Amino acid sequence: MQIILNNIVPIPLKEKLLSKKSDVWNAVQHFSSKDWVKIKAPSGTGKTTLIHILYKIRFDFDGEMLWNDFLSNNTNENIIAETRQQKLSIIFQDLRLFPNLTARENIELKRVLPKPYYDASTIDLMAEKLGVTHILHQRTGLCSYGEQQRIAIIRALIQPFELLLMDEPFSHLDKENITIAATLIAEECAKRNAGFVLTDLDDDNHFNYSKQLSL
Amino acid sequence: MLFTLLKKIIKTSAGKTKFIMAFVGLSVALLLILLAIQIQANYNQLLHGKSNTDSTANFLVINKVVNNNTVNATILSDEVLTKLKKQPFIDAVGNISGGRFKASIESLISSFPFYTDIAFESVQNDFIDVNSKDWNWNEESNFIPMIIPNMFLDIYNFQFSISQGYPQITPDALKMMNFKVNLYNTNGQVQSYIGRIVGFSDRISSVLVPQSFMNWANEKFGNKKTTNPGRVVIRTKDPGNPALVQFLKDNGLTTDADKTRFSKYRQIVNVITNVSWVTGAVMLLFALLVFTLFIQLTIASCKNEIQLLITLGASPKQLQSFLMKQFFPPNIFIVLIALILIAVVQFALFALLKAQNIFVSKFISYYTIIAAVIVLLLLWWVNKATIKKYIKGKE
Repeated sequence: MQIILNNIVPIPLKEKLLSKKSDVWNAVQHFSSKDWVKIKAPSGTGKTTLIHILYKIRFDFDGEMLWNDFLSNNTNENIIAETRQQKLSIIFQDLRLFPNLTARENIELKRVLPKPYYDASTIDLMAEKLGVTHILHQRTGLCSYGEQQRIAIIRALIQPFELLLMDEPFSHLDKENITIAATLIAEECAKRNAGFVLTDLDDDNHFNYSKQLSL
Repeated sequence: MLFTLLKKIIKTSAGKTKFIMAFVGLSVALLLILLAIQIQANYNQLLHGKSNTDSTANFLVINKVVNNNTVNATILSDEVLTKLKKQPFIDAVGNISGGRFKASIESLISSFPFYTDIAFESVQNDFIDVNSKDWNWNEESNFIPMIIPNMFLDIYNFQFSISQGYPQITPDALKMMNFKVNLYNTNGQVQSYIGRIVGFSDRISSVLVPQSFMNWANEKFGNKKTTNPGRVVIRTKDPGNPALVQFLKDNGLTTDADKTRFSKYRQIVNVITNVSWVTGAVMLLFALLVFTLFIQLTIASCKNEIQLLITLGASPKQLQSFLMKQFFPPNIFIVLIALILIAVVQFALFALLKAQNIFVSKFISYYTIIAAVIVLLLLWWVNKATIKKYIKGKE
């Protein structure tokens, strides 16, 4: 999977963004399965906006974005759903779990939505690695943010993908847990020959980035 | 597994009262519609079914109403005759041709003396309800076969013989008697023949002779002018058909009212089934409306959940097939219940009417089943269209 950006600028942030130099906004850029991309940016420069544009949740931008050769203004819901099930996974900054489902059910949902990539026992393996086994049976609405974030990470990794979008995926985790989570993510990406796009506020060495960009 | 999870996320219990209302409405509507069809099917079976057919009921003798305007002008015009033949509810028309000569008949035995003037009529053999090997005539025949109305014999046996002190007579005895038939030509000259009664008819109230004899006698004794008949026999599948009765009325024609009286009941049944139809259809419409609203409400109340599902990559197809599985099976259940109820009623009706020698089918008509399937398809379509519409609106 390849995402091509062709001079895109989000309309609400247009004036603010055009005044600064950026590797992404109003530039030609592409993300593919070969790239492990880090995008560093301070707050309010449109990190989440970018991730949402890449995931086709937002369409309020100028310029052009392509999923492979699939144009940005194409909103065919079947193709979008299929891409989200098979090729493009995501960890939202605001996590977006179903609060009334248990942690396991939240992950299971994403496992069975496409043709399953892993069987159900993988949920336990990953949960054990990230230290959240004890909350799998618990409604996510009752979990702490740190726990929820790890559930969201497992949910993103349980499905097949070629590209993984991560929006400040470690914001609620301590250093130790970040290392464990990053190791798991790196393993899963390597296993699938998949790339990722990660946004964060600061520099870090969690991954062997092939590209480091600033917004 | 996916559906179990979706069931937890999308709660269909929103607005349970509306759900129950929609289903009760739908059940009653379906019951009314299917019942209307079943009643119609039963009625048709009663009208046309072999076991219920009365042989004389399908033949009607038709003539003009005799009143001040038509007196002496009751000949049926060519126009009326062609019109009659054209009607879809009339299968065949047989002209009744009358004799254009004077005739009289008298008995040959002194113990049973009588003499009367008489007029003959004839009609094609297909329209006669008597089977007799003697029913034919040519110039070499020894006697003229005649068919008289059953009524004549009844009048003799129960009125005439009693008042005049004559013996009663059986149909078989009457058939063995010879009569003297006198035919008069236009000049008043008489020629006598032997006549014999070969049968009794319930259908046509005339003294009938074979067509061949009538043609010969009219040629030999009658005046030369030929005219249209004044009466015809029609064969119809359904003498109770209101359209037939209306047609006769519109054209100033009349027939044995006893045979068409069924049409009045028929009209009443028609009105009842029509009312049932319309009520059922209107109810179905409202039930569908409530049902659509219910689906809409369910989807609206789970708007955020559905939105997140789509964000996570649930395809509209997956959501639609899940919602279909939630909403549609109760419809199948309702249709089945309605069919079973009607089947039970039908069987009860069969048992009840059998005791009175009226035969309706033991089982429900296949028209009812076809209608049920059609309604089910309609429900499926409405479900699908509503779900599709509102899921699409959520993106």
